[in-house]
Amino acid sequence: MIAAERRSTELGLVVLAALITTGAYALAALGRTADLPADLAPFLGIVIGLLVAAHVTNRFLAPNADGVLLPLAALLNGLGYAIIARLDTDLAGLQATWTLVSIGAYALTLLVVRRATDLARYKWTFAFIGMALLVMPLVPGLGFGNASARLWVSIGPINFQPGEFAKIALAIFFAAYLTERRELIAAGGWKLGPFNLPEPRHMGPLLVAWAASLLVMIGQKDLGSSLLFFALVVVLLWISTERASFLVFGAFLFATGAVLAWSQFSHVQDRVDVWLDPWAQAEGLGYQLVQAVYALAWGGTTGTGLGLGDPSRIPEVQNDFIFAAIGEELGLLGATAVIAAFVLMVGAGMRVAVQAERPFEKLLAAGLTTILGVQAFIILGGVTRVVPLTGVTLPFVSYGGSSLLSNYILLALLMRISDSVGRPTAGTARVGWRARRSQRRADRRAAGATAATAPSTPGGVPA
Amino acid sequence: MNRQIRRLTIALLACFTVVFIQLNVVQVVRADRYNQSPTNDREAVRDFSRDRGSIITADQVVVAESIDSGDRFKKQRRYPTGALFGHVTGYLSFVYGSDGVERTYNDVLAGRTPELQLENLDDLFSDRSNVGDVILTLRADLQQVARDALGEQEGSVVLLDPRSGAVKAMWSFPAYDPNLLAGHDFDEVGAVRTFLLADPRNPLLANSYRENYLTGSTFKVVTASAALESGVYTLDSFFPPTDSYTPPQTDNPIQNYEGSTCGGTFPEVFRRSCNTAFAEMSVTVGPEIMVDKAEDYGFNMAPPFDLPRPAESSFGTVDFFEDNLPLLAIGGFGQGETMATPLGMALVAAGVANGGVIMEPHVVAETRGPDGNLLERTEPQPWRTAIEPDLARTMTDLMVQVVNDGTARCCMQLAGGVQAAAKTGTAQLNPEGEPPASHAWIIAFAPAEAPRFAIAVMVKATPEVTAGTGGTVAGPIARQVLDAALAAEPG
Repeated sequence: MIAAERRSTELGLVVLAALITTGAYALAALGRTADLPADLAPFLGIVIGLLVAAHVTNRFLAPNADGVLLPLAALLNGLGYAIIARLDTDLAGLQATWTLVSIGAYALTLLVVRRATDLARYKWTFAFIGMALLVMPLVPGLGFGNASARLWVSIGPINFQPGEFAKIALAIFFAAYLTERRELIAAGGWKLGPFNLPEPRHMGPLLVAWAASLLVMIGQKDLGSSLLFFALVVVLLWISTERASFLVFGAFLFATGAVLAWSQFSHVQDRVDVWLDPWAQAEGLGYQLVQAVYALAWGGTTGTGLGLGDPSRIPEVQNDFIFAAIGEELGLLGATAVIAAFVLMVGAGMRVAVQAERPFEKLLAAGLTTILGVQAFIILGGVTRVVPLTGVTLPFVSYGGSSLLSNYILLALLMRISDSVGRPTAGTARVGWRARRSQRRADRRAAGATAATAPSTPGGVPA
Repeated sequence: MNRQIRRLTIALLACFTVVFIQLNVVQVVRADRYNQSPTNDREAVRDFSRDRGSIITADQVVVAESIDSGDRFKKQRRYPTGALFGHVTGYLSFVYGSDGVERTYNDVLAGRTPELQLENLDDLFSDRSNVGDVILTLRADLQQVARDALGEQEGSVVLLDPRSGAVKAMWSFPAYDPNLLAGHDFDEVGAVRTFLLADPRNPLLANSYRENYLTGSTFKVVTASAALESGVYTLDSFFPPTDSYTPPQTDNPIQNYEGSTCGGTFPEVFRRSCNTAFAEMSVTVGPEIMVDKAEDYGFNMAPPFDLPRPAESSFGTVDFFEDNLPLLAIGGFGQGETMATPLGMALVAAGVANGGVIMEPHVVAETRGPDGNLLERTEPQPWRTAIEPDLARTMTDLMVQVVNDGTARCCMQLAGGVQAAAKTGTAQLNPEGEPPASHAWIIAFAPAEAPRFAIAVMVKATPEVTAGTGGTVAGPIARQVLDAALAAEPG
C-alpha cells in the first residue's frame, strides 16, 4: 500500500537524519576539542528515539501523510542542533529540551486535530487567539524586548515569542475566512469608477484583521514578521480568488508600505543602508552582516570543517545568523544542502496543497508552506545580502523554543492535511457523503418543501 | 487554485535559486576578496593560532617559543629570556604585526617555506606540525655579558665574527620585553605599546642597527685608509703639532679635543687621534677619494641584514663636499654628518680584521625542520671590499698602537695577554643651549694577529657620559665582552 511505503521511506529517512545529526555532532566536538564527545552513544540513542517516536506517531495518527516532510524537518533541526552545541553547550541543552517539547507538541497536534477542516469552524477563535498573541508583548509587565524589537513574553519561568504562534493561528483564520467568502470576494460587485471591487462587507473583516496585525507587527518593529504576514495574506487572496489583480494590488500596497516605512522609520533606513553597503558601518550597524559575509567567504566551497571555524565572531549567530555558521563550517556544499532541504519542504508542502481536495485544506496547506518558505527565504536572503536583513529565525535550524515549537505544530498541520489527501478511503467517504446528501435532498423534495431556503454551504468540491 | 499554487511554488523556488547564486558569489567568486579585506582578520587569526617554530641561540637557549594558550588563539608566543633578545627576535603581536627574526623568518617559523610545505604533504595524516626552528648566530652568554657590561647606560654593543659576518651578541639599551607585546589581552598590549612609544629613549627601536649616531673619531679608520691608499700620505708623513687647522672656504678654525696641541707622524696622530691632522688629510685627498673610501666601508648605505629595516649610515656625497670643504674636514674625523649605526661601525672594524673584506652581517646561522634536519644554512657572503689586504695589515698595526700606546691604552688590555686592535671615538654633539654632550665609541677586534671577534660599543651622550672620552667609557665594556667571547670560543 502507498501508506506503508511512505512510512517505511520515512523511517529510513529519519534514521538517516539521526545518523547525520550524530555525525555532525561528533565531528563538531572532534574539530573543537580533538576528542569525541563522551555522550555519543546516548546522544545517538536519544536522537533516534525522538525521531522514531515522531515517526510512530505518524504511523498511528497520519499513516497516509507525506513521507519526506518529517525527515527534512528532522535533518534541519539536527544540523541546527549540532551547530548550536558547537557554539554554546548551555543553549544546546535548552534547544534539546525544546526539541523534545516540540516533538511532543507535534504528536499532540496530530492527536487533537483529527480533521483539518475542523479548524475552519473555529476561525474567529483563531483570529482572536492570533491577535491576542500578537499584542501580548505590548502588555506592560508581560512583554519585553530589546532596542530593536519588542517580541517577547514572560510568563513565570518561560519566555516565548508569541508572534511565532500568531502566524499559524492567523493563517488558519484567513484560510477559513477566504474559503467561505472567496467566490463573493472574487465576484466583486462594488463599482468604484472603472474598478469592480469586492464588496466591503465581505472584504472588510479580512482587511481589518490584516491591517491590525500588520500595525501591531510594525509597532513592534518586527519587520520580518510583517513582511511574512503581508506575503501570506496576499498569496492566500490570490490563490483563493484566482485573480491576479490581488497580486498587483498586493505589490502596489507593498511598494507604498515599503516607501512609507523607509521614510518614516529610522530603523528601516538603517536596514536598507546596511544592506546596500554594510562596510560603510563595518564596526557599527553593519558589523553582524559584514562578519556573516566574512564567515561565508571563509568557508568557501567545502567549509572549514565542523568545529574548526570561528562563527562566534558573528553576534547572536545561533539565532538569525545560524546559516552563516553553517556556510562557514560546511561551506557552499553544506549551505546548499540546507537550501535544498527547504526547497524540498516547500515542494512537498505545495504538493499537499495541490492534491488537497477541500478548498480550506488547500488554502491552509499553501499558507503554511508559504510561511515556511518565505520565512526561510527572508532570513537566508538577509544573511547573504539578497534582501535587506529583517530578523526572523531560520525554521527548524535557529536556536529558539518558540520558533521550533511553532514550526513543528505547522509541520503537524501539514501532515494532517497530507494524511487526509492520501487517505485511500477518502474517495469512498466522499461518495458516501454525496450519496447521503442526494438522499437528504430527495427526502426534502419528497417532503414537498416549497422553497429550499438554505442552500448547501459553498465549501463543496471546486468546479 | 492549483495553477496559482504551482506558480507560487515556482516563485519560491526562484527565490531560493537567487539565494543559491548569491551564495556562490559570496563563498566562491568573491571569497578571496572578502578574506583579504582589511576589516577581516580571520586569516591573521589563523596564522596567529598556528603552531610556530622556536628561535634558539647558538648556545642552545630558547629565546622564542609557542605554548598552548587555551584561548581563541590556541597558541601563545613566549620569550623566555625577556628583554635580552627582544631586539633580535622582535615580537609577534596580533594587533601590531611582527618585528625582528619573527618577521624576517616568518615563513620558516610558520612552516610556509616550500620544503616545509612538502613535508606537510607527507604528514597529512599525522598530528605533527611542520614548522621550522631558527638557530641564531648569537650566544645567550655573550649577550648577557654585553648587557651587564653596558648596564643602565643608553647605548649598544655589537659583537661579530669578522670572518663570516655572524653576529655573536647585539645588545641595545633601553630594550623591551617582547612578551608584553605578544599578549592576547589587546587592551593591555595597546597600553604597553603606548607606554613604550611615549618613552623618549624609544626602547622599541634597536639602536644597535636601526639608529644612526655621530661616529666621532672611530671614523678616522676610514680617513686613514683613504689617505694611505691615495698615496698622498705614507706612514712617514709628518703633521706639525698645532692646536687648530683652518680648512678652505672658511675662517673658522678646527680645534683638537679640549683645545690641545696635537701632531706627529702618521701612526702618532692616529693613536693620539688628532682632529687637526685628519681634517687636513680629508681636504688634501679630496671629496672623491674620501667618499669612495667611506662607501667602500659601507657608508651612505644600509648593510644587507636579516633583521628588518637596518638604518642607512651617512657620510655625504662628492657634489656636496666639493662645495663644502669645511664639512669634509670635520666629516673626516667623524663629526658633521658622519653617522653610522653601532652595527655599521662594528663592520668597519670587521673589515680591517678580515683582510679588508666586510662580510654580510647576519643573526641567523641556520634553519631546521621538525626532525632537526637542516633546511638552510646562512653561507658567509662578502659584502664590501673596504681595503686591500696589505693596507688592512697596516691599519691593524695602527689600531694595535691605539691599544698599546694611545687613546685605548687605559682599557683594552685583554685577559691572557691577547692583543687587541682598536680605535676610540668621542662624538661631540654640542647641542645648542645645552651643556656639551658626546657619544662614547670604541671599535675593536681581537686577537690582532688572527682576529676572531670584532666589536663596536657606543654609549649614547648623556650628562654622565660626557665626562669621559670613548676610551674610558666604552673601552671597558668592549674589553669585558671581548674577554668573554675569546673565552667562550677559544681558538
